[in-house]
Amino acid sequence: MSDGSRSRLVKFGLFAAAAVLLPLLLPGYALQQVCIAIAYAIAIMGLNLLMGFGGQICLAQGALFGVGAYVTAILNSDYGIHPIATLPMSATATALVGLVVGLPALRLQGLQLAIVTFGIAAAFPQLLLKMGGITGGVSGLPIDGLEAPTWVPVSPELWLYVVSQCCAGIAALLVTLMLFGDVGRALRAQRDNAQIAEALGVNLTKTRLWAFAGSSALAGLGGGVFAIITGFISPESFLAILSINIVIGSIVGGVTSVVGAFLGGLFMVFVPTWASDINLSLGNLIYGLALILIMMVARNGVTGFIEKWLSTILRRTADNTASVKETREELT
Amino acid sequence: MDGRKSVSESSLNVAQPVLQARDVSVQFGGVQALSDVSVSVRAGEICGLIGPNGAGKSTFLNAVTRLASYGTGTIMLDGTPIEGAKVRDMIGLGVARTFQNLGIYASMTVLENVMLGGHHQFGGRFAQTIFNPMSSGARERAARVKAMTVLEEMGMADVANTIAGALPYPLQKRMEIARALAAEPKILLLDEPAGGLTHGEVHEFGELVDKVRRSRNLSILLIEHHMGLVMGLCDRIFVFHLGRNLAEGKPEEIKSNEAVISAYLGRAA
Repeated sequence: MSDGSRSRLVKFGLFAAAAVLLPLLLPGYALQQVCIAIAYAIAIMGLNLLMGFGGQICLAQGALFGVGAYVTAILNSDYGIHPIATLPMSATATALVGLVVGLPALRLQGLQLAIVTFGIAAAFPQLLLKMGGITGGVSGLPIDGLEAPTWVPVSPELWLYVVSQCCAGIAALLVTLMLFGDVGRALRAQRDNAQIAEALGVNLTKTRLWAFAGSSALAGLGGGVFAIITGFISPESFLAILSINIVIGSIVGGVTSVVGAFLGGLFMVFVPTWASDINLSLGNLIYGLALILIMMVARNGVTGFIEKWLSTILRRTADNTASVKETREELT
Repeated sequence: MDGRKSVSESSLNVAQPVLQARDVSVQFGGVQALSDVSVSVRAGEICGLIGPNGAGKSTFLNAVTRLASYGTGTIMLDGTPIEGAKVRDMIGLGVARTFQNLGIYASMTVLENVMLGGHHQFGGRFAQTIFNPMSSGARERAARVKAMTVLEEMGMADVANTIAGALPYPLQKRMEIARALAAEPKILLLDEPAGGLTHGEVHEFGELVDKVRRSRNLSILLIEHHMGLVMGLCDRIFVFHLGRNLAEGKPEEIKSNEAVISAYLGRAA
C-alpha cells in the first residue's frame, strides 16, 4: 500500500512541477497550444469516468465538447455574458444533452453503443451548419478575449493558461468526487459484471445515465474552455474525427488516470504536429506508427507504463535498503 | 446441537414462513427447468436444498432473486408476493445470495466487495457525492465500519485490503458470504458455499454458518453437495429431482427415504 501511495506522490509531484514550469519555458504560441491540450484533457477526464470506470463506450465526446463550446460562444456573443461565467452553464447544458445521448446505452452495449454515439458525432457538424441562425453557420462565432484582472500582472497567454488549469483542477475534483465511495464502487461493479451488480441492488439505468451526464458535463466544460482559448469557433473544430481523437487521447494517457488525461490532451495536440514536422508528406504515417508503438509498449497507457516503471524503481531501492540493512545486521 | 433444535422447534410455531414458494415453474425456451416446486423456510431456520446435477436447484435460487422469471406459481417473502419486484429490489427486500461460480469482483479489495453488500442501504445517492461530499463521506465511513464488523465475524479482517482476486478460492467464497451478510438480509441463499473446501474446512465452515445464523436469527437456504455438511447443519431438507420436488423432511427422514436414495444412485424412482 505504501508503495502505491509513494508512487502516486512522486507522480503528482512531477505533474505539479511540470504544470508550474511549462509557462516559464514555453513561448506564447506553444503555451496557447498547451491550453488547448488542457481543454481536451478536461473532456478526456469525463471520458475516463465513463469509459475507464463505467465501461461505456462513447464516440460522441467531440460533439458534446462542441455543444459546450457553442453554449459558451452563444451566451457570450449574443447575451454578452462574461466568458468565464458561461462555463458552468456550458457544463450543465452539455450534461443534459449527454443524458439524451446516454439513453441508447440503457439498451445497447459495446460495439452497438459505439456506432450509435458515433452517429451523433457524424451528424453534429452538419447540424451546426443547418442551425446557422444561432450557431453562425460556416462563419462561426467569436468569443471575447480574456484579459487578466488588473491585480494579476501577467500576459494574456499566461492568464489563459491559469484559467484553463483552474478549470482542469475543478474537473479533476469533480471526477474524484464522482468516483468516491459507494457511487464509484457501484460504477465499477456494473462495469465488471452488470448482473451481479444488479443482484446487489445497483440501479444500472441510473448509474449509467449518471456517468453519461458527468462525462458530458466535463466535455461541455472542456468545450467552453476551448472556445475561450481560441476566441473563435466554427463547425470545422468539431468534426467527427475529434471524437475519435478524444478516445485515442484517453487510451494513450491511460483510461483510469487523471494525470493520463493531461498526457492524452498533450498527445492530441502535439504529436500530429510533430509527426508532420518530421516529414510533411509522411505525417499521418508517422502518427499512425507512433500510436501502434505506444500501444505495443504501454498497453495501459502512458501513465500505466510510468507507474509500472516507478514501482519497479521504488521496489528496487526498497530491496537495496533492505539488503543493506541485512548485511549490516549480519556484520554486527 | 440441542440449542439449534430448540431454535427450529420454537420457530415451528411461527405461522408465516420468511420464504414461501408455491408451485413455481420456470421454462427456458422449450426446456422445463422447474415444474411446480414448493419450498418454505421459516425464521431462523436452515434449510438444505439438494438433488442431483440438473435438478433445478440454482434455477430455484434465480427465481427467488428474480434473475429467472417464473411462469406460474407464487413466491412470497414474509407473506408478500415478489412478482412486482425487480432484480435490484430483492436485496432491499431482504434476500441476499451467493453464486455457484463466485459472483465476486476480483479487481476490488475484499473490503470494497463486502461494502458493496451495503449498497442498498448506504448507496445510490448520486447528487450527494457532488453537492454534499461531507455527508457522503460520513456514509462511506459508516458502510466501512459495518463491513469491517462482518469481516471480523467471518475471521477475514486481516485480508480486508487484499485484492479479492488474489485470495485462495475458499476465502473468496467466504468473502461472498460476508458480502451477503453485510446486506443484513432476512434470508440468505447459499449456492454450494463449501465447494473446494477440504474435509476439516467443511466442518469449520459449518460451525461458522451456524454461529452467523444464531447471532442474527437468520434464515438460510443452502444448496450443497457435501452431504455431511447438509445433514449436520440443516433443520429441514428439500430434495429436487428433474425439476420437481422429490422429498422434504428432517435430515434423518431424508437419509432413509427410498426415493432420494434411488435418485442419487441413479435408479428409476
